[in-house]
Amino acid sequence: MPVHFSHFEMSLVFALLASIILGLVTKRTDRDRVRYGAYCFGCFMVALFGIGWVMHFLHG
Amino acid sequence: MPAAPSTASAPVAPLKSPVVTALIAWIIPGGGHFWLGRRGRGLIVFCTVLAAFGVGLLMYGPMFHPGGSDVLTRVINIGGFIGNLASGIFYFVTMACGYAQPDAGGHASDYGSKFLVVAGLLNILAMVDAYEIATRQKD
Repeated sequence: MPVHFSHFEMSLVFALLASIILGLVTKRTDRDRVRYGAYCFGCFMVALFGIGWVMHFLHG
Repeated sequence: MPAAPSTASAPVAPLKSPVVTALIAWIIPGGGHFWLGRRGRGLIVFCTVLAAFGVGLLMYGPMFHPGGSDVLTRVINIGGFIGNLASGIFYFVTMACGYAQPDAGGHASDYGSKFLVVAGLLNILAMVDAYEIATRQKD
C-alpha cells in the first residue's frame, strides 16, 4: 500500500531536502551553508503558508 | 634593473578529472564529492537524494518514459525521464528490480512521481558542484 502524506507534509519534506542541497552547493563555508539552507527553508515556509492563506481567501 | 613582478596568475591544474568526477557523481549520488575527498558533503548528498527517491517510491510514484502522442506530452515525458535518469544508481537498481508502477492517479501517486524527479534534479545540482570543485572553481 502506498504511504499517504498530506500536502503539507509533502511540502515540508520537499522544502527540507531542497534547502539542504541548495545550502550545500551554493556557499563556500560550513557556517554560510547552514545559514543559507535555513534561509531557503524559511523562504519555502513563508511561500507555503502565504500561498495557503491566499488560496483560503480566494476559495472562501 | 629588476624585472617587474608578473600579475598574470598561472593556470591552475584541476584537482581530478572533471568529467570523471561528474560521471561518478551521476552514477552514485554524492560519489563525486567522496572522490574529491569531501566525504561529509558526499554523505549529505547521498542521504538527501536517497530520501527524496525513497519518498517517491513509498508513494508508488510512476517513472517517466520518453514518448507520447503530442508534442507537449513528449516534452513533459522526456523532461521527467531525464530527471529520473539523473538519480543514477537508485534509478537503475529500481528499474532492474522490475519497478513498473502505473500512473494510478490521485495526489499520492502524483507527488510520488514528482519526488522521483526531484531526487534526480537535486543530484544534478550536486554533480555541478562536484564538477566545479574538480576544476578548482570552488573549495
